[in-house]
Amino acid sequence: MFEIRLQYDGTFDGFLSLVFYAFENKTEPKEIAKPANVSQDLFSEVIEVETHTAKAERVWKGLVNKSSLKNARLISVAFMSELPGIEVLLWRYLKKVFTFPQKDFYQNMLDEDVYQVVQTARKVKKEVHRFHGFVRFQQTADNIWFAPIEPDHDIIPLLVPHFKNRYSGQPWVIYDTRRKYGIYYDTESVSEVFIEYPALDLNTGRLSEKAKGSHEDDYLHLWQQYYNSINIQLRENKKQMTRLMPRRYWKYLPERNR
Amino acid sequence: MLKKIEILADAAKYDVSCSSSGSSRSNQKGGLGNAASCGICHSFTEDGRCISLLKILFSNICIYDCAYCVNRKTNDIPRAAFKVEELVDLTVSFYRRNYIEGLFLSSGVMVSPDFTMERLIAVARSLRQEHQFNGYIHMKAIPGASQDLIEEAGLYADRLSVNIEIPSEGNLKLLAPEKDFPSVLNPMSQIANRIISNKEERKKYRKAPRFVPAGQSTQLIVGASPERDFDILKLASELYNGKNLKRVYYSGYVPVNTSDSRLPVLQRPPLVRENRLYQADWLMRFYQFGYDEILDDRHDTLDMNMDPKLAWALRNPHFFPVDLNYAPYEMILRIPGIGVRSARLIVANRKWGKISFLHLRRMGVALNRAKYFILCRELPEKGYKLQPEQVKRKLVKSNENIGVQLSLFE
Ligand code: SF4
Repeated sequence: MFEIRLQYDGTFDGFLSLVFYAFENKTEPKEIAKPANVSQDLFSEVIEVETHTAKAERVWKGLVNKSSLKNARLISVAFMSELPGIEVLLWRYLKKVFTFPQKDFYQNMLDEDVYQVVQTARKVKKEVHRFHGFVRFQQTADNIWFAPIEPDHDIIPLLVPHFKNRYSGQPWVIYDTRRKYGIYYDTESVSEVFIEYPALDLNTGRLSEKAKGSHEDDYLHLWQQYYNSINIQLRENKKQMTRLMPRRYWKYLPERNR
Repeated sequence: MLKKIEILADAAKYDVSCSSSGSSRSNQKGGLGNAASCGICHSFTEDGRCISLLKILFSNICIYDCAYCVNRKTNDIPRAAFKVEELVDLTVSFYRRNYIEGLFLSSGVMVSPDFTMERLIAVARSLRQEHQFNGYIHMKAIPGASQDLIEEAGLYADRLSVNIEIPSEGNLKLLAPEKDFPSVLNPMSQIANRIISNKEERKKYRKAPRFVPAGQSTQLIVGASPERDFDILKLASELYNGKNLKRVYYSGYVPVNTSDSRLPVLQRPPLVRENRLYQADWLMRFYQFGYDEILDDRHDTLDMNMDPKLAWALRNPHFFPVDLNYAPYEMILRIPGIGVRSARLIVANRKWGKISFLHLRRMGVALNRAKYFILCRELPEKGYKLQPEQVKRKLVKSNENIGVQLSLFE
């Protein structure tokens, strides 16, 4: 049998447009991926689905109606996980939610797909919660607060509400050095930023000498001193520490990466 | 400044309460920060504890001489004190960098309780009024400070705490000759009553200023004095119910003053015991257990080899097995290996079908423990009788968690 692989632009709107397309054409995609990731072979056909904001909007509204706004948001959170196969999982899930008669089917944790989606969203939310704490700002010479991050999932958009609220009076940038984009908040509104050559050391996340504000090192040292002093050696439990603050996050935490 | 932080953070570290939860304070235009209602950890130290607040002493100078404390006046240690502006600047600068969630400010008693309390208040006042700081502030109410000062502190702080430290009056007097229960319990009652009257005020005038919106907490030192676990849990339960405390913290005694003959000789702080007390505390706060169910006068000590929920289950075999398909939430909550989230999920999902092992595992149930206490799809047998001795042999042998601090810190 001929298999169908669907390709989209990688955005959430693009994915929802694809869902619209698959419903309309009764397509059963074997794979859904971004152009760079889609596999090619003799037995499958690759179809590229265009992004249509209006169609995406209809799928979103339908989802909100068929479940709830909270649940629709959960789907977008699971999508941000960027885990392999997440699109096909969400497609299967959406098909069930749209076709099953019960309005609360999306809460059925005994269902394999519902469980997987909820679990994925939980993973992403957990990372968001962690980064509410692990983001580290440095003051730049031109008085913008800059924080590099490298999360597992694409969580920058999910971090914005918290930091916008907390630092409403200071302009900041949170920048994902792996996905190579960031969010800039100018104390009024937020926008996406791409920085060609960010002025920082990619092994430590520290701003270069020229870029950083004049008090940056002082406060950094005070923080490192505090971090050391507050530890109780008699209670040492490094395993617990690394469980709660995994090694992969240490790079940009100045108290761990000196 | 580095030196001051070294001394004054080091001196503050034995106070375990680090949680920054329970308050939500929203930011105002142009202000700095907010208090999130679920605690955020900004880092973890090598002892595995969460750093949420900048936990520091205003000064480690102290006119008192509590036996269990590093800062007591007879200890020959370097002393330091902040200036109000220094500490305010440090807090704001750390906060702007997202190092911390706010400030946890305590102090040794300089000159007098009121003198000390005034300094702490000056820091909080400056943060709130001059810097529009809306982050979290946890302040210690110094035992013996006047009512007016405590009242003012409560208007700036999200949380106030008065530490009891030693869980019985007799031993407190023995170890901290200058302190007694009234000096701790009176401010505690004042705060408790003020929280209630403030709630009433705010019902009438929504603009009335808030008084310690995150409530009050206290700390008990465990293992410096001979109180039984039963006494400690009873005291904690009275504090939760009688004084409406939000949290009671337990701190395994860290032997800082080794030469004092009033104190026990310990190699390491009693971490397992501390952890068992936290588990028992959780049972009281989230699992609807009474302190007198967890322990009683005959069983007055927590079992170090198993958690208190398992211990309770094995002492009450008639309660089991619990049928997951029908039992009410409160009963499911009592099953070893099932937590609050799992219990909720079980109750919410059983209408979709019979609950199986796979489902349970996915809901976060620790099946290796729970399986002895439940009926579900794979365990339909009605005639099953729990054999406490057998189960104990199985579970306690396989329990390699002893000595490891479990993750019960919020
Ligand atoms: S009053 Fe506080 S700081 Fe002073 S010795 Fe007693 S416990 Fe330590």
